[in-house]
Amino acid sequence: MIEIRVEVPLAGSDLRVEAQLPTAVTAVMGPSGAGKTSLLEAIAGLRPRARGRIACDGAVFLDTGQGVRVAPEDRRVGYVPQDAGLFPHLTALGNVQFGARGGADRVETAIETLGLRPLLSRHPRSLSGGEKQRVALARALATSPRVLLLDEPLGALDVELKERVLPYLVRIRDEWKVPMLYVTHNVGEALALAGHVLLLRGRRVEAQGRPLDLLSSPALSLEAEAGIENLFRGRILGHDAAGGVSRVELEGGLPLTVPLAPAHPPGAQVTVAIRAEDVLVSSGPVKGLSARNVYEARVEALERTGVDVTLRCALPNAPSPWLARVTPAAVEALGLQVGQTAWLAVKSHSVRLI
Amino acid sequence: MRALLLALLSLLSVPRTGSTDDVTVFAAASLAEALEEVARGYEQASGNKVILNVGGSNDLARQIVAGAAADLFFSADRAQMDLVETAGLVRPADRVELLSNVLVVVVPAAAATRIASPRDLTHLRRIAVADPEAVPAGVYARSYLETAGLWAVLQPRVIPTLNVRAALAAVESGNADAGIVYRTDAALSRRVRIAFTVPREQGPKIVYVLAPLASSRKPATIELARRLAGPEGRSVFEKHGFVIEPGGAASHPLEPPLASSAAAK
Amino acid sequence: MLRGDEAEVVLFTLEVAALATLLILPPGLAAALALARYRGPGQGAIETVLSLPLILPPTAVGLVLLEVLSRNAPLGSWLAGRGVEIVFTWKAVVLAMAVMSFPLLVRSARTAFEEVDSRLVGLARTLGCGPAAAFFRVTLPLAWRGVLAGTVLAFARALGEFGATVMVAGNIPGRTRTLALAIFHDNQVGRDDRAAVLAGITALLAFAALWTTELLTRRLARRAEE
Repeated sequence: MIEIRVEVPLAGSDLRVEAQLPTAVTAVMGPSGAGKTSLLEAIAGLRPRARGRIACDGAVFLDTGQGVRVAPEDRRVGYVPQDAGLFPHLTALGNVQFGARGGADRVETAIETLGLRPLLSRHPRSLSGGEKQRVALARALATSPRVLLLDEPLGALDVELKERVLPYLVRIRDEWKVPMLYVTHNVGEALALAGHVLLLRGRRVEAQGRPLDLLSSPALSLEAEAGIENLFRGRILGHDAAGGVSRVELEGGLPLTVPLAPAHPPGAQVTVAIRAEDVLVSSGPVKGLSARNVYEARVEALERTGVDVTLRCALPNAPSPWLARVTPAAVEALGLQVGQTAWLAVKSHSVRLI
Repeated sequence: MRALLLALLSLLSVPRTGSTDDVTVFAAASLAEALEEVARGYEQASGNKVILNVGGSNDLARQIVAGAAADLFFSADRAQMDLVETAGLVRPADRVELLSNVLVVVVPAAAATRIASPRDLTHLRRIAVADPEAVPAGVYARSYLETAGLWAVLQPRVIPTLNVRAALAAVESGNADAGIVYRTDAALSRRVRIAFTVPREQGPKIVYVLAPLASSRKPATIELARRLAGPEGRSVFEKHGFVIEPGGAASHPLEPPLASSAAAK
Repeated sequence: MLRGDEAEVVLFTLEVAALATLLILPPGLAAALALARYRGPGQGAIETVLSLPLILPPTAVGLVLLEVLSRNAPLGSWLAGRGVEIVFTWKAVVLAMAVMSFPLLVRSARTAFEEVDSRLVGLARTLGCGPAAAFFRVTLPLAWRGVLAGTVLAFARALGEFGATVMVAGNIPGRTRTLALAIFHDNQVGRDDRAAVLAGITALLAFAALWTTELLTRRLARRAEE
């Protein structure tokens, strides 16, 4: 639980945020200039003129009323800025080790989690954007932080790279269990990662709440960027070279057919990504469809997200719900409703292995 | 743009030195005030300007030898005048030994230091002296102390200064415990007092030499030289405490260099 | 070729110049850092005052030092009371060199510090560095070229310092006579031949200092690229 009641003097108007952030991952969203980065900086302790109270799981970082202002080096926050902010004079390993707490083990785990072993001896200038982000993430993780502050970590990456780095973030959320504040413009990322959304506009909190609730409200005009809304883990069962497909078993047992991926041996752990708009919805069972992946599901929620409608569907054998995006016209035509049974179809080509 | 360039060029061509009726005198630092007085008198009488450049005689000699434009050189010792003569810039016949001086030991006015004999100098830590290697005042002081058998002991305590006035200033400011300067210098400052006067018979022979530069063809040069050597100059120098060298001026009429037809009168 | 006392002068000059440079490093770097980071009221005035020794004639600076150290001035009388002598000693040489070199160090170092992204320093703080650790682990390593250049420049300036030195330290053989002062003295007493030798040595020293910097900068930069 992160408690924030803070005022940060800024050029223009001051930032004023009052929020209780209950969950593991909070997405901080809003237009440019709304104050998202300044909020993160204030929590990190990089805004000496911030006033108010900030506490993280009981640890008080700032309490102007009590005369408490903890220095940044004592707050144990892991801050990852938008451009990674790697130290150019150190190698990737040097960067990760920079503020490490908890010994070599912690550093090793961070390196493993982010898959950095082949990059360790390289300098930031020879790293790609995605690699830099991963190094920055590992660097923050190695300090055993109380909370991670990520400022648009995928912002500078193209879609393909986003897909490659996002699973690492999911791992961090699930395996490291470190609370995260995650600034993003991308609705898909927010939906994929966050349990709570904080929406800022004009240096004030406009709204906060659950992602689907918030992001579907028509009053908030957020560009729904093309993103990845469905991320699942699974393992390779086998390959069918003649059929041009590989078979994957998702967590929970759901089978999935994907394009042939011989690079992953049977038994290998993989992450699959499916865009919500690539999930077809049918109101009745499907026959004779080229799509190899068809599942029966129950519609849990129907929310407007921007100009579309996002369905949240529960599947048996699936630990997390699937998101499908369709047009309002389709909803009307199919008479889709909450609680109804629907069939979801996904072409194997729409599945990407990460 | 052209106008600007022309303006700049014309600045460069403005003559920095005075006109041909000005006399430039390079003189030992100790002569500054007395010379100033004689020069004013001359300027009023003649309407010519006198440009005074005072400093350590060694420094001035060096400048002259290096080509500095001087009309008269008034050195505090023979050695520096010899230097200029050896360079062929002064004719031996034109030299006049005009003045002498007395060496004194000065201490800061408020100090209680007693110097009854030169040996008492060994109790002091810092003694300011014009550079004993070349500045006449310093060379004289060193010669005196060498004769007194004290130079070896005192040399490590000597603070060599650029010229005799700098030595005086060091004592005035209290940065030196004592200094060896001319009596004429000590008389100028109320911040020092004379603690000891070097008896003339014990001290070295101090001789100030005046000579016109051979290259100086102006009548004004000889006029000023004559004034310095003549009665007006003498009375001024005496007033300031200098000793007049007997037989200095009278035996040397200071004829202009090129008036070769006029034999010695 | 070098006589005994000439070698002494060279050694003495190198020692005092090195000492002066070492002495100005902590305050110089601190001033450079402060000027690079903080933009507050009075910043321009402070910058100007710190740069004065660069623009003023060295003799004027020497005069100021003499006044400050004189027995009538507060600092001078305090020092005299404790039996500390500065004027006409090697300490005055170090002082004059330090004052004249200080602005050169500050300027170079400040430019170098300004070029270090301040966000990186903030990041270092979040990674557990206090202000001092952040300076030594991030700012300085990223600014080392400018700092080194400034240090060598300051050293070279100290080597050649004359005007302020001759006023406040005098030209005392064996005690305050540096190379620059020795050249002047030799010329004054008519030994231009010796002066020329010393001038040549000074040129060699300055060349060596600058060339070493050049080499160091390039070699270390090349190693960092690999």
